[in-house]
This record gives sequence, C-alpha cells and structure tokens, in this order.
Amino acid sequence: MAGQTDMELIKNGVRLDGRKPDELRDVKIVAGVLDNADGSCYLEWGNNKVYAGVFGPMECHPRHKQKADRAIVQARYTMAPFSVNDRKRPGLDRRSTEISYIASQAFERVVMVEEFPKASIRVDMQVVEAHAGTRCAAITAASVALADAGIPMRDMIPACASGKVNDVVVLDLNKEEDNYGQADLPLAIIPSTGEVVLLQLDGHLTPDEFEQAMDLATSGCMDLYEKMRNALDNRYGGSA
Amino acid sequence: MSEDSNNKSNSESARKLVLPGDLMETKSKPGKGIFRKDGRIYSSVLGHSHDKSGYINVNAITGRYKPKTGDKIVAICAETGPSIWRMDIGSAFNSTLHHSESSWKVPFGDTARFLAIGDAIWAEVFMVDAAGSHQISLKKDDCRKLYSGTIVKIDPTNVSRVIGKQGSMITAIRENTQTRIQIGQNGYIWIDGKGEDIALAQKAIETINQEATSKGLTKKIEKLLEK
Amino acid sequence: MSNDHVSNLMKGHMETLATEGKRADGRGINEYRKVKIEIGMLNTAEGSAMVHLGKTKVLCGIKMLIGRPYGDSPKSGTMMTSTELAPLADQSFDPGPPREQSIELSRVVDRGIRESRMIDFEGLCIEEGEKVWTVFIDLHILDNNGNLFDCCTLAAAAALSNAKIPNVQHGVADKDVDLPVNCWPISCTFGKLGNSVILDPTSEEEGVMSARFTVAHDENGNLRAAQKGMNGAFTDSEIREAVKTARTSDNVLREALKGIQ
Repeated sequence: MAGQTDMELIKNGVRLDGRKPDELRDVKIVAGVLDNADGSCYLEWGNNKVYAGVFGPMECHPRHKQKADRAIVQARYTMAPFSVNDRKRPGLDRRSTEISYIASQAFERVVMVEEFPKASIRVDMQVVEAHAGTRCAAITAASVALADAGIPMRDMIPACASGKVNDVVVLDLNKEEDNYGQADLPLAIIPSTGEVVLLQLDGHLTPDEFEQAMDLATSGCMDLYEKMRNALDNRYGGSA
Repeated sequence: MSEDSNNKSNSESARKLVLPGDLMETKSKPGKGIFRKDGRIYSSVLGHSHDKSGYINVNAITGRYKPKTGDKIVAICAETGPSIWRMDIGSAFNSTLHHSESSWKVPFGDTARFLAIGDAIWAEVFMVDAAGSHQISLKKDDCRKLYSGTIVKIDPTNVSRVIGKQGSMITAIRENTQTRIQIGQNGYIWIDGKGEDIALAQKAIETINQEATSKGLTKKIEKLLEK
Repeated sequence: MSNDHVSNLMKGHMETLATEGKRADGRGINEYRKVKIEIGMLNTAEGSAMVHLGKTKVLCGIKMLIGRPYGDSPKSGTMMTSTELAPLADQSFDPGPPREQSIELSRVVDRGIRESRMIDFEGLCIEEGEKVWTVFIDLHILDNNGNLFDCCTLAAAAALSNAKIPNVQHGVADKDVDLPVNCWPISCTFGKLGNSVILDPTSEEEGVMSARFTVAHDENGNLRAAQKGMNGAFTDSEIREAVKTARTSDNVLREALKGIQ
C-alpha cells in the first residue's frame, strides 16, 4: 500500500479498468479439474489464476501433529515463480506462510473435523498468475475443492477483498489499486451465518469507511458464493 | 419446473444436488450427511438428498470410501505386523485384519508368510467403531485371498453404476468377456480371466467410472463389449 | 484415488499383458497417451505452456531476467530449470524443500534443452561480459499420472517456443522479440516391466516397473541427452532397442509441438 499517490485510480466513479466502485472483476470457476486429487478447482479472477487441490481425510503426517479427537486441516498457499512479473524464488516465504496459516484456521471453522479423529485434510493452493487478491482467490478455490472432495462442512467459504483508492471505498482491488491504493481488506465469511472467518486490514480506514468496506466485501463474498455453487452444479448437477 | 412438480419431487425420493450448508426443508429426521443447528437441519456434503420413510439423508457423490459393517471389499496388504495385517481399502485410514479373523493358523510374527505386502483379498468389513477405525474379516462367506487376475480401482460412488439396475450392467460385462468379477463396495474391483478378456472388462468398467453421469452410457458400453 | 498400493496381482497382470505387447489401458507397448498442448495463457510469464499427457498435467512458465554471464562465456545468456512437485498433484508430494526426485527431473529436462542447443544463447547477449539474459524454465506439476520427464520436456519446449524477450519492460530495446530457438528436443521415457520395455508409463506402471530410461533426440534423429533411473536394470539390447524406438515414437510429440506453432 503506497497510500500517497498522485495517480488517479478512480475518476467520476469509474476505475482504471472501467469498473464501478462496487463491481467485482470477472470470475470463472471450474470444479473437478485434476484427476489425482480427491477434490480440485481451477479459478480465474480478473487475471488471477489459481489451482486448488484437496487430499483427505487421510492419516496425519507427521505423526506428532495428529490430534486424538479430530482432524487437522493443513492448508498451503504458494505462488509459482512465473506468477509475478519479477520472478519469485520457489518455495515458501513469510507472506505465503502467514496466508497458509490463516487459511488453515478459516477452513477448520467450517470443516467437520470432529468426524475424523487423528486424520489430516491437506489443502494445496497454487497461484500460477497473480494480479492482486490472490489470497481471496486461493481460499475461494480451496473451498470449492473441499466440497468437490466430499469433505463434510458447515458451508463453503467465499473470500473477497475491498479497499480504498483516492478516498473512495471500492470492491475487489486490482494490481494498480493494490499497489497505489490506501487500504486493502480481505474478508472471508460463512454465507449461511455471516460469520467472519478471515479478516485482514492493511492501510488507513476511518470507522465509517471500515463499515462501508465490510459491507462491500460481504456482498462481494455473496456474489462469489453463487458462482461457487454454479461451478459445482455444472460439474455434478443434472445427474439423475 | 413448476412449483407443484417441485413439491412433488421433494416428497418422492427424488435426488436433488445439494451443497454443504444447504437448508433441508423437511419434517423428516436427520440421517447421514446432515448436521443440526438451532433446530434446523442442513446438508454437510456435496451430494443427493434422499427423503424417504421419515429420514432425510444426503448421499455424498464424491469422497473416499467410508466403510460400513457388512460391506464386501477388495483389500490390499500395506503393512504386516506380528499378529495383524494393515490393509489398504481406499478409505481415510487403512483397515486392520487380525490373524484371528483369517482361517489360517498364523504363528506370532509369521504373518507375512500368509499375506505379504501387495497381496490382495476379498473380505468383509465386520467392525466400524465410534472413533472411525475399522476391521475386516476373511472368515465370512466367500472371503479369501486372491491369487490371479487383476484389480481395477474406481470411485466408490460409481459402484452402483457398474452393477447396474438389478445387476444388468455387470452381468453384461461378465458374459461378454467371460470373466469372473467381484465388485468391492470400496470401488476396488477384482477381475479374473484371460489377459485380453480382462483388458476389455477393465476398459468397460473404467469407461463407466469416467462417464458415470453422461447420457447414453449404457449404449456406449454395449457397443464396447460387442467388439 | 490413492495409488499408494499397487497389488501384486496388478503387477503380474501388467507384466503378462506387456509380453503380449499390450497395456492395461489398451495401449500398445510403444504408444503414447493422448497429448494436448496449450500455449501463452499466462500474462506474467514471458512464455507459457500447459501440457496434458494422458492425465498427467504440467504447466511451464518462462521468466527472463537480466544477469551476468559466466566468466568463460561472456557473450552467452544463461538458463536455469526448476520443477515444483506441487502437493496438489500427488498425495505423496509432501510440501517441503526439493527432493531428489524433483532435482533429478529438473536436471534431466535441463540437459535435454541445453544439450540440444534449443536456445540460441548468443542471441541473449546484451552487453558482452556484463549483461546477458537468463532464461528461467519453471515447471509446475499439477497432476501426476506418470512420465513427468516427457511431459516436462514437452512443456518446456512448448513454453520456450512462444517466449518473447521482455526488452521493453527492462529498458533494453523498444521492441520485444521472440526468444531465438534452434530446434525441438523431444524426450522419450521407457520403463522396465517384468521382461518387457514400455513407453510412457502411467503412475500405476511406475509403481511396478523396476527401471526407467529417458532419451532425448533432436529433429535430426541425434541423441542429446539420456538418463537411466531407478534401481533396476535394462539389458544392453533393451537400451539400444529403446533408443531406436524413441526415434519413431517421438513423432507423435513432435507433431503436437509443431501443431501449436
């Protein structure tokens, strides 16, 4: 977040990429794209491209991480070296580690872990092209992959970010807005209850702006949720 | 679809695709694939809802095999212990076959001589406990070690498709390929016969697994088997 | 579905079929699975390709950055190949630092590309002795159903074939140009199954085969790289036969690569 900028990211209510403040980028979701994984999903969000794959429930490795009365969700978020313009060195860095960790915790809230003592559910999120909002794209894709894998859950988790550019609260920041904007707020919710399972904030928001940003991100999540449902319906629906 | 026919199909045992978290509007009692919250019931898995005889169940259409007592399965030995074997049955955890559940007299520590890693058996799930661990037995019915043929693995949710209505599909495959076939509820299927006959039966079964939901599958398999 | 445990029955059946020239999936012993190649789908990469070989899926991205040349070749660009065995591709791909398997894979693919002189390294010189382009070939395995070697080599070749040097972005020139490539190396991987040799093994076949042999040829039929892997052995004549077979069997992959140009 640069915060201070002379760049006009929004003019007369129209953003650089032509969107209105409350408009989501184009999202395309396909469920069941990989053969080996128990569940999988490919998701395109603007120019973001993410693959998510799930294995499990299965025996928990390493053994010392096993929990006697429930399963653990081991989520991992990584970005491919070619996913960003400045090639990224392969492997986990601190940012990816943090995202992996908070994603695991978000999933543990919805997955019915009590049904599988001592097991592990492995969620892998691979970002192959990045244009801001990758953690939201990854978590959304992973939720679809979890459903695709037949993992019992209380609900799926859509994730969407809102932010602020040139003092206007907007939905779903693109790369320029993320780089030069004033705030970035990724949010993940449980649609059926409205519960927040993931929330981060980077930047500057007044209390009013925060309320607006929450509202926008929540509505973005709900729109996304419909697309997630459609993706699964396209894959499995219509079968008698 | 009209409002009317929607209601009709909900009370019949019509299968509708449901997703985790979907509210189940019903007066029936919760069965499997369901969870309760604040007095209402919801689906917990991606599957088809089945509202019949006062119970609502959601049958998962994806996911690993969940062992049920009485299921007949094909199991592959993954590990040997001094008095047990740990068997891969395609579920979350391996299953245990205790030496006392075989009809062999197994001296302590000598289990590998009777069943080694990679060997396969036709067995029955005889115990699933509350914590989810399960045991299988070689003593029931026609349970036995398998010595010839091969094993084909498919999604357990497609097993009924491979069997067909009243066994029509599997009978057609058996007769056209002159093979012996035993279908494990876990999606592991044993086929025995001549090499190329096994290959044809395998191809038919794998096609059903890949295209289980497409129309015209039965005709496609019929054509395949005619060759 | 877990491919962890291949039964001894499956092994016996596959070995018997192989002696009759057939495979469990209906292929002949020297037949490739269906190949599908797509290129140019990644905007952040200088070149990209996605290859499906049967159910095996590999995504390759090419990144080019400015670096220093090696002391002994001041006019040549450089190249580096790495593979990521993404955990979502296979239950046995544990997250963590690169294992021997992924390093062997990277190095074999690298040799096939490098030794065939596919990339015209002289064409990557910006300032002799000071600045050259470094080509990063990053292979991302998305779905492992066997024969990562051939799928990766093909993905790398396809990605390089549509790569553009990012002159404009790096202020080197006012136009991006195609990455200069000379030829198309294609690798063929064989497995020893019982007493037979099969081409393009699936992961089930890899689970029972005892040895692996990969050989890369250029389009003139000359060998550029080879690697024998796993702890079993091939006979001398099996190796020679395989090399001969590779020269005709690789046509299918070569055609697929030409088809996307």
